[in-house]
Amino acid sequence: MAESVKVLPQDIQEIIEVHEWDMRTREGVQRFRELKAKSLPSVALDGDLVYESLIPMQEELIAEIHRRYKEKNQNE
Amino acid sequence: MVIYMPGETKPKRFIYPTRGVCPPEIHFNVNNGRLEEIRFVGGGCPGNAQLVARLLDGKPVAEALECLVGIDCRNGTSCPDQLAAAVTAAQNGRLTPAESFRVQADVSDRCRIGLVSEIAGNPAVLEKLIKHMQDSGMEACYCLGNLTGDSAQNKDLIQTIRKHKILAIQGANDWRYAQGQEKMSLPPLEQKERDWLLRLPQVLSFQIRRKKGMVFYGDYIQGLPDYSDFEPFALEMNMVCGLTSFMQDETVLPALEAMIPQFHVDIIIFGQQNTWGHWHIAGKDFISLGPARDTNGLSWGRLEVADEKIRFKIMRAE
Repeated sequence: MAESVKVLPQDIQEIIEVHEWDMRTREGVQRFRELKAKSLPSVALDGDLVYESLIPMQEELIAEIHRRYKEKNQNE
Repeated sequence: MVIYMPGETKPKRFIYPTRGVCPPEIHFNVNNGRLEEIRFVGGGCPGNAQLVARLLDGKPVAEALECLVGIDCRNGTSCPDQLAAAVTAAQNGRLTPAESFRVQADVSDRCRIGLVSEIAGNPAVLEKLIKHMQDSGMEACYCLGNLTGDSAQNKDLIQTIRKHKILAIQGANDWRYAQGQEKMSLPPLEQKERDWLLRLPQVLSFQIRRKKGMVFYGDYIQGLPDYSDFEPFALEMNMVCGLTSFMQDETVLPALEAMIPQFHVDIIIFGQQNTWGHWHIAGKDFISLGPARDTNGLSWGRLEVADEKIRFKIMRAE
Protein backbone atom coordinates (compact mmCIF):
# COMPACT_ATOMS: atom_id res chain seq x y z
CA MET A 1 0.00 0.00 0.00
CA ALA A 2 2.73 2.44 0.93
CA GLU A 3 4.27 1.87 -2.49
CA SER A 4 1.17 3.27 -4.22
CA VAL A 5 1.42 6.35 -2.00
CA LYS A 6 5.15 6.78 -2.63
CA VAL A 7 4.57 6.99 -6.38
CA LEU A 8 2.03 9.80 -6.12
CA PRO A 9 2.97 12.91 -8.13
CA GLN A 10 5.24 15.48 -6.53
CA ASP A 11 2.51 18.12 -6.12
CA ILE A 12 0.50 15.65 -4.07
CA GLN A 13 3.52 14.52 -2.04
CA GLU A 14 4.03 18.15 -1.04
CA ILE A 15 0.63 18.47 0.59
CA ILE A 16 0.51 15.17 2.45
CA GLU A 17 2.32 13.42 5.26
CA VAL A 18 2.41 9.64 5.07
CA HIS A 19 2.49 7.34 8.09
CA GLU A 20 2.72 3.61 7.64
CA TRP A 21 1.88 1.25 10.49
CA ASP A 22 3.22 -2.27 10.66
CA MET A 23 0.41 -4.62 11.65
CA ARG A 24 2.89 -7.03 13.20
CA THR A 25 3.53 -4.54 15.97
CA ARG A 26 1.47 -3.51 18.99
CA GLU A 27 1.60 0.09 17.79
CA GLY A 28 0.23 -0.90 14.38
CA VAL A 29 -2.54 -2.97 15.93
CA GLN A 30 -3.45 -0.11 18.26
CA ARG A 31 -3.71 2.34 15.36
CA PHE A 32 -5.75 -0.18 13.38
CA ARG A 33 -8.21 -0.44 16.25
CA GLU A 34 -8.35 3.32 16.79
CA LEU A 35 -9.38 3.72 13.18
CA LYS A 36 -12.00 0.97 13.67
CA ALA A 37 -10.60 -0.83 10.66
CA LYS A 38 -11.55 -4.41 9.98
CA SER A 39 -9.42 -5.64 7.15
CA LEU A 40 -6.13 -5.11 5.35
CA PRO A 41 -4.84 -3.10 3.64
CA SER A 42 -6.55 -0.05 5.09
CA VAL A 43 -5.99 3.60 4.19
CA ALA A 44 -7.02 6.50 6.36
CA LEU A 45 -6.98 10.13 5.30
CA ASP A 46 -6.95 12.77 8.02
CA GLY A 47 -7.80 10.05 10.53
CA ASP A 48 -10.85 8.84 8.59
CA LEU A 49 -10.85 5.29 7.35
CA VAL A 50 -11.45 5.69 3.62
CA TYR A 51 -10.29 2.50 1.91
CA GLU A 52 -10.44 -1.02 3.29
CA SER A 53 -9.35 -4.25 1.65
CA LEU A 54 -8.40 -2.47 -1.51
CA ILE A 55 -5.70 -0.34 -2.99
CA PRO A 56 -7.42 2.57 -4.74
CA MET A 57 -6.56 3.58 -8.25
CA GLN A 58 -4.07 6.42 -8.23
CA GLU A 59 -6.54 8.83 -9.84
CA GLU A 60 -9.15 8.03 -7.23
CA LEU A 61 -6.69 8.54 -4.39
CA ILE A 62 -5.44 11.83 -5.85
CA ALA A 63 -9.00 13.09 -6.29
CA GLU A 64 -9.86 12.25 -2.68
CA ILE A 65 -6.69 13.95 -1.38
CA HIS A 66 -7.46 17.05 -3.48
CA ARG A 67 -11.03 17.14 -2.28
CA ARG A 68 -9.98 16.99 1.37
CA TYR A 69 -7.20 19.52 0.83
CA LYS A 70 -9.61 22.03 -0.71
CA GLU A 71 -12.19 21.42 1.98
CA LYS A 72 -9.67 22.02 4.74
CA ASN A 73 -8.29 25.16 3.15
CA GLN A 74 -11.77 26.57 2.53
CA ASN A 75 -12.57 26.12 6.18
CA GLU A 76 -9.40 27.87 7.29
CA MET B 1 35.75 4.76 35.66
CA VAL B 2 32.63 3.48 33.92
CA ILE B 3 33.05 0.73 31.38
CA TYR B 4 30.40 0.74 28.69
CA MET B 5 29.40 -2.37 26.79
CA PRO B 6 30.22 -2.17 23.09
CA GLY B 7 27.50 -0.16 21.37
CA GLU B 8 25.40 0.04 24.50
CA THR B 9 22.67 2.67 24.50
CA LYS B 10 19.93 1.27 26.73
CA PRO B 11 19.58 -1.24 29.57
CA LYS B 12 20.15 -4.82 28.56
CA ARG B 13 18.87 -7.83 30.44
CA PHE B 14 20.99 -10.96 30.72
CA ILE B 15 20.37 -14.48 31.98
CA TYR B 16 23.52 -16.43 32.75
CA PRO B 17 23.45 -20.24 33.19
CA THR B 18 25.82 -20.86 36.08
CA ARG B 19 28.33 -23.69 36.63
CA GLY B 20 29.26 -25.31 39.93
CA VAL B 21 27.02 -23.26 42.23
CA CYS B 22 23.55 -23.75 43.73
CA PRO B 23 21.46 -21.23 41.72
CA PRO B 24 21.19 -22.41 38.12
CA GLU B 25 20.75 -18.90 36.75
CA ILE B 26 21.83 -15.34 37.44
CA HIS B 27 19.66 -12.55 36.05
CA PHE B 28 21.00 -9.01 35.78
CA ASN B 29 20.73 -5.80 33.80
CA VAL B 30 23.52 -3.62 32.50
CA ASN B 31 22.44 -0.01 32.22
CA ASN B 32 25.02 2.46 30.91
CA GLY B 33 27.85 0.36 32.25
CA ARG B 34 26.24 -0.20 35.65
CA LEU B 35 24.85 -3.38 37.16
CA GLU B 36 21.18 -3.45 38.10
CA GLU B 37 18.49 -5.89 39.18
CA ILE B 38 20.83 -8.74 40.01
CA ARG B 39 19.03 -11.92 41.02
CA PHE B 40 20.42 -15.36 41.79
CA VAL B 41 17.59 -17.64 40.70
CA GLY B 42 16.60 -21.15 41.68
CA GLY B 43 18.75 -21.99 44.70
CA GLY B 44 21.58 -20.97 47.00
CA CYS B 45 21.47 -18.78 50.10
CA PRO B 46 18.66 -16.30 49.40
CA GLY B 47 19.67 -13.89 52.15
CA ASN B 48 23.29 -13.61 51.08
CA ALA B 49 22.31 -13.47 47.43
CA GLN B 50 19.95 -10.58 48.09
CA LEU B 51 22.66 -8.78 50.03
CA VAL B 52 25.13 -9.16 47.15
CA ALA B 53 22.47 -7.90 44.75
CA ARG B 54 21.71 -4.86 46.92
CA LEU B 55 25.35 -3.96 47.47
CA LEU B 56 26.15 -4.12 43.78
CA ASP B 57 22.99 -2.44 42.49
CA GLY B 58 23.99 0.61 40.46
CA LYS B 59 27.72 -0.06 40.72
CA PRO B 60 29.89 0.41 37.62
CA VAL B 61 30.74 -2.96 36.08
CA ALA B 62 34.51 -2.55 36.62
CA GLU B 63 34.05 -1.69 40.28
CA ALA B 64 31.71 -4.64 40.80
CA LEU B 65 34.15 -7.02 39.11
CA GLU B 66 36.87 -6.05 41.57
CA CYS B 67 34.65 -7.26 44.43
CA LEU B 68 33.44 -10.41 42.70
CA VAL B 69 36.31 -12.26 41.05
CA GLY B 70 38.16 -15.14 42.65
CA ILE B 71 35.83 -15.87 45.59
CA ASP B 72 35.69 -19.61 46.25
CA CYS B 73 32.74 -21.39 47.86
CA ARG B 74 32.54 -24.79 46.18
CA ASN B 75 33.83 -26.47 43.02
CA GLY B 76 36.45 -23.75 42.72
CA THR B 77 33.83 -21.07 42.23
CA SER B 78 31.03 -19.23 44.04
CA CYS B 79 27.93 -17.17 43.33
CA PRO B 80 29.96 -13.91 43.22
CA ASP B 81 32.57 -15.59 41.03
CA GLN B 82 29.85 -16.79 38.66
CA LEU B 83 28.38 -13.29 38.56
CA ALA B 84 31.84 -12.03 37.62
CA ALA B 85 31.99 -14.62 34.84
CA ALA B 86 28.50 -13.58 33.70
CA VAL B 87 29.31 -9.87 33.60
CA THR B 88 32.60 -10.53 31.82
CA ALA B 89 30.80 -12.69 29.25
CA ALA B 90 28.24 -9.93 28.72
CA GLN B 91 31.05 -7.38 28.33
CA ASN B 92 32.91 -9.30 25.68
CA GLY B 93 29.78 -10.37 23.80
CA ARG B 94 29.88 -14.09 24.66
CA LEU B 95 26.62 -13.69 26.57
CA THR B 96 23.89 -12.15 24.47
CA PRO B 97 20.96 -10.24 25.98
CA ALA B 98 18.03 -12.39 27.06
CA GLU B 99 14.96 -12.81 24.91
CA SER B 100 12.13 -10.58 26.06
CA PHE B 101 10.06 -13.61 27.04
CA ARG B 102 11.01 -17.16 27.92
CA VAL B 103 10.20 -19.84 25.36
CA GLN B 104 10.46 -23.56 26.00
CA ALA B 105 9.95 -26.30 23.45
CA ASP B 106 8.28 -29.62 24.19
CA VAL B 107 10.57 -31.65 21.98
CA SER B 108 8.40 -34.79 21.86
CA ASP B 109 6.10 -35.22 18.89
CA ARG B 110 2.74 -35.62 20.60
CA CYS B 111 -0.49 -37.35 19.60
CA ARG B 112 -2.82 -36.46 22.45
CA ILE B 113 -2.35 -33.56 24.85
CA GLY B 114 -4.36 -32.67 27.95
CA LEU B 115 -4.70 -28.94 28.63
CA VAL B 116 -5.56 -27.36 31.92
CA SER B 117 -5.67 -23.72 32.96
CA GLU B 118 -6.31 -21.49 35.97
CA ILE B 119 -5.61 -24.04 38.69
CA ALA B 120 -5.23 -21.07 41.07
CA GLY B 121 -3.36 -22.86 43.85
CA ASN B 122 -5.56 -25.93 44.16
CA PRO B 123 -3.43 -29.13 44.16
CA ALA B 124 -6.43 -31.41 44.80
CA VAL B 125 -8.11 -30.20 41.60
CA LEU B 126 -4.90 -30.74 39.65
CA GLU B 127 -4.48 -34.27 41.04
CA LYS B 128 -8.03 -35.17 39.94
CA LEU B 129 -7.53 -33.71 36.50
CA ILE B 130 -4.21 -35.48 36.01
CA LYS B 131 -5.82 -38.79 36.94
CA HIS B 132 -8.68 -38.15 34.50
CA MET B 133 -6.25 -37.20 31.75
CA GLN B 134 -4.15 -40.31 32.32
CA ASP B 135 -7.25 -42.51 32.31
CA SER B 136 -8.24 -40.84 29.03
CA GLY B 137 -4.94 -41.77 27.39
CA MET B 138 -3.29 -38.35 27.34
CA GLU B 139 0.45 -38.61 26.86
CA ALA B 140 1.23 -35.12 28.14
CA CYS B 141 -0.37 -32.48 30.31
CA TYR B 142 0.25 -28.79 29.76
CA CYS B 143 -0.72 -26.72 32.76
CA LEU B 144 -1.28 -23.10 31.83
CA GLY B 145 -1.32 -20.31 34.44
CA ASN B 146 -2.53 -18.98 36.62
CA LEU B 147 -0.97 -21.76 38.64
CA THR B 148 -1.06 -19.69 41.81
CA GLY B 149 -4.04 -17.92 43.29
CA ASP B 150 -5.69 -16.73 46.45
CA SER B 151 -4.90 -19.99 48.17
CA ALA B 152 -2.83 -21.15 51.11
CA GLN B 153 -1.81 -24.15 48.98
CA ASN B 154 0.27 -22.47 46.29
CA LYS B 155 3.40 -24.22 47.57
CA ASP B 156 1.65 -27.63 47.51
CA LEU B 157 0.43 -26.91 44.02
CA ILE B 158 3.98 -26.26 42.85
CA GLN B 159 5.11 -29.51 44.45
CA THR B 160 2.29 -31.39 42.69
CA ILE B 161 3.34 -29.96 39.32
CA ARG B 162 6.96 -30.93 39.97
CA LYS B 163 6.04 -34.42 41.21
CA HIS B 164 4.08 -35.22 38.06
CA LYS B 165 6.67 -33.52 35.81
CA ILE B 166 3.93 -31.50 34.15
CA LEU B 167 4.87 -28.84 31.63
CA ALA B 168 3.72 -25.62 33.25
CA ILE B 169 3.37 -22.24 31.58
CA GLN B 170 3.52 -19.02 33.58
CA GLY B 171 0.41 -16.88 34.03
CA ALA B 172 0.11 -13.20 34.93
CA ASN B 173 -0.43 -13.98 38.60
CA ASP B 174 2.57 -16.29 38.64
CA TRP B 175 4.70 -13.56 37.07
CA ARG B 176 3.68 -11.10 39.76
CA TYR B 177 4.54 -13.66 42.44
CA ALA B 178 7.91 -14.24 40.78
CA GLN B 179 8.59 -10.51 40.96
CA GLY B 180 7.39 -10.18 44.56
CA GLN B 181 4.58 -7.96 43.27
CA GLU B 182 1.54 -10.09 44.05
CA LYS B 183 -1.60 -8.46 45.39
CA MET B 184 -1.42 -7.72 49.11
CA SER B 185 -4.34 -10.05 49.76
CA LEU B 186 -2.48 -13.09 48.43
CA PRO B 187 -0.52 -15.32 50.80
CA PRO B 188 3.27 -14.97 50.65
CA LEU B 189 5.58 -17.50 49.00
CA GLU B 190 9.14 -18.44 49.85
CA GLN B 191 11.95 -17.27 47.59
CA LYS B 192 12.55 -20.72 46.09
CA GLU B 193 8.90 -20.95 44.97
CA ARG B 194 9.10 -17.46 43.52
CA ASP B 195 12.27 -18.47 41.67
CA TRP B 196 10.55 -21.58 40.34
CA LEU B 197 7.71 -19.44 39.00
CA LEU B 198 10.21 -17.00 37.48
CA ARG B 199 11.92 -19.76 35.51
CA LEU B 200 8.72 -21.08 33.97
CA PRO B 201 8.30 -20.64 30.23
CA GLN B 202 6.02 -17.85 29.16
CA VAL B 203 5.51 -19.55 25.82
CA LEU B 204 5.55 -23.31 25.30
CA SER B 205 5.99 -24.51 21.75
CA PHE B 206 4.98 -28.03 20.82
CA GLN B 207 4.33 -30.36 17.95
CA ILE B 208 1.33 -32.63 17.62
CA ARG B 209 1.69 -34.92 14.63
CA ARG B 210 2.83 -32.53 11.95
CA LYS B 211 1.11 -29.48 13.40
CA LYS B 212 3.09 -26.89 15.30
CA GLY B 213 1.58 -25.12 18.26
CA MET B 214 2.17 -22.61 21.02
CA VAL B 215 0.66 -22.05 24.45
CA PHE B 216 0.75 -18.74 26.30
CA TYR B 217 -1.33 -17.16 29.05
CA GLY B 218 -2.17 -13.66 27.94
CA ASP B 219 -1.29 -10.04 27.39
CA TYR B 220 0.96 -9.52 30.44
CA ILE B 221 3.76 -10.87 28.22
CA GLN B 222 3.39 -7.86 25.92
CA GLY B 223 4.14 -5.62 28.90
CA LEU B 224 7.37 -7.37 29.86
CA PRO B 225 10.51 -5.21 29.78
CA ASP B 226 12.07 -5.14 26.31
CA TYR B 227 9.18 -7.11 24.77
CA SER B 228 9.90 -7.23 21.06
CA ASP B 229 7.20 -7.46 18.41
CA PHE B 230 9.62 -9.33 16.20
CA GLU B 231 10.66 -12.26 18.36
CA PRO B 232 9.31 -15.67 17.40
CA PHE B 233 5.66 -16.09 18.54
CA ALA B 234 5.20 -12.35 19.19
CA LEU B 235 3.12 -11.95 16.03
CA GLU B 236 0.67 -14.63 17.12
CA MET B 237 0.39 -13.05 20.58
CA ASN B 238 -0.09 -9.55 19.16
CA MET B 239 -2.86 -10.78 16.91
CA VAL B 240 -4.69 -12.75 19.61
CA CYS B 241 -4.31 -10.23 22.45
CA GLY B 242 -4.26 -6.89 20.66
CA LEU B 243 -6.10 -7.32 17.38
CA THR B 244 -8.90 -9.73 18.26
CA SER B 245 -9.16 -9.19 22.04
CA PHE B 246 -8.71 -12.91 22.57
CA MET B 247 -10.96 -13.76 19.62
CA GLN B 248 -13.87 -11.82 21.12
CA ASP B 249 -13.98 -9.20 18.33
CA GLU B 250 -15.20 -10.97 15.23
CA THR B 251 -15.24 -7.78 13.14
CA VAL B 252 -11.45 -7.88 12.78
CA LEU B 253 -11.24 -11.50 11.65
CA PRO B 254 -10.65 -10.43 8.00
CA ALA B 255 -7.50 -8.62 9.19
CA LEU B 256 -6.46 -11.64 11.24
CA GLU B 257 -6.90 -13.78 8.15
CA ALA B 258 -4.62 -11.43 6.22
CA MET B 259 -1.90 -11.76 8.86
CA ILE B 260 -2.13 -15.54 9.32
CA PRO B 261 0.24 -16.45 6.44
CA GLN B 262 3.05 -14.93 8.54
CA PHE B 263 2.33 -17.18 11.55
CA HIS B 264 4.97 -19.67 12.68
CA VAL B 265 2.47 -22.12 14.20
CA ASP B 266 -0.81 -23.83 13.35
CA ILE B 267 -2.35 -23.97 16.84
CA ILE B 268 -2.48 -21.03 19.26
CA ILE B 269 -3.65 -21.77 22.79
CA PHE B 270 -4.25 -19.08 25.42
CA GLY B 271 -5.91 -18.73 28.80
CA GLN B 272 -6.52 -15.19 29.96
CA GLN B 273 -10.18 -15.05 29.00
CA ASN B 274 -11.11 -17.89 31.34
CA THR B 275 -13.71 -19.14 28.89
CA TRP B 276 -13.62 -22.17 26.63
CA GLY B 277 -13.50 -21.52 22.91
CA HIS B 278 -12.23 -22.96 19.64
CA TRP B 279 -11.97 -21.08 16.35
CA HIS B 280 -10.69 -22.41 13.04
CA ILE B 281 -9.59 -19.56 10.79
CA ALA B 282 -7.60 -19.76 7.56
CA GLY B 283 -6.14 -23.15 8.46
CA LYS B 284 -5.13 -22.18 11.99
CA ASP B 285 -6.74 -23.25 15.25
CA PHE B 286 -7.21 -20.80 18.11
CA ILE B 287 -8.13 -22.31 21.47
CA SER B 288 -9.14 -20.46 24.62
CA LEU B 289 -8.88 -22.49 27.81
CA GLY B 290 -11.49 -22.13 30.51
CA PRO B 291 -10.80 -22.53 34.22
CA ALA B 292 -9.99 -25.92 35.72
CA ARG B 293 -12.93 -25.54 38.08
CA ASP B 294 -16.18 -23.66 37.60
CA THR B 295 -19.87 -24.16 38.33
CA ASN B 296 -19.95 -27.11 35.92
CA GLY B 297 -17.28 -28.93 37.93
CA LEU B 298 -13.75 -29.80 36.85
CA SER B 299 -12.74 -29.37 33.22
CA TRP B 300 -9.76 -29.86 30.94
CA GLY B 301 -9.16 -29.71 27.21
CA ARG B 302 -8.32 -32.69 25.01
CA LEU B 303 -6.22 -31.86 21.97
CA GLU B 304 -5.45 -34.37 19.24
CA VAL B 305 -4.99 -34.60 15.51
CA ALA B 306 -7.15 -36.92 13.44
CA ASP B 307 -7.21 -37.01 9.64
CA GLU B 308 -4.81 -34.05 9.58
CA LYS B 309 -7.39 -32.00 11.49
CA ILE B 310 -7.18 -30.60 14.98
CA ARG B 311 -9.75 -32.04 17.35
CA PHE B 312 -10.42 -30.17 20.56
CA LYS B 313 -12.89 -31.28 23.17
CA ILE B 314 -13.78 -29.97 26.62
CA MET B 315 -13.67 -32.88 29.07
CA ARG B 316 -15.53 -32.96 32.39
CA ALA B 317 -13.75 -34.74 35.20
CA GLU B 318 -16.71 -34.88 37.60
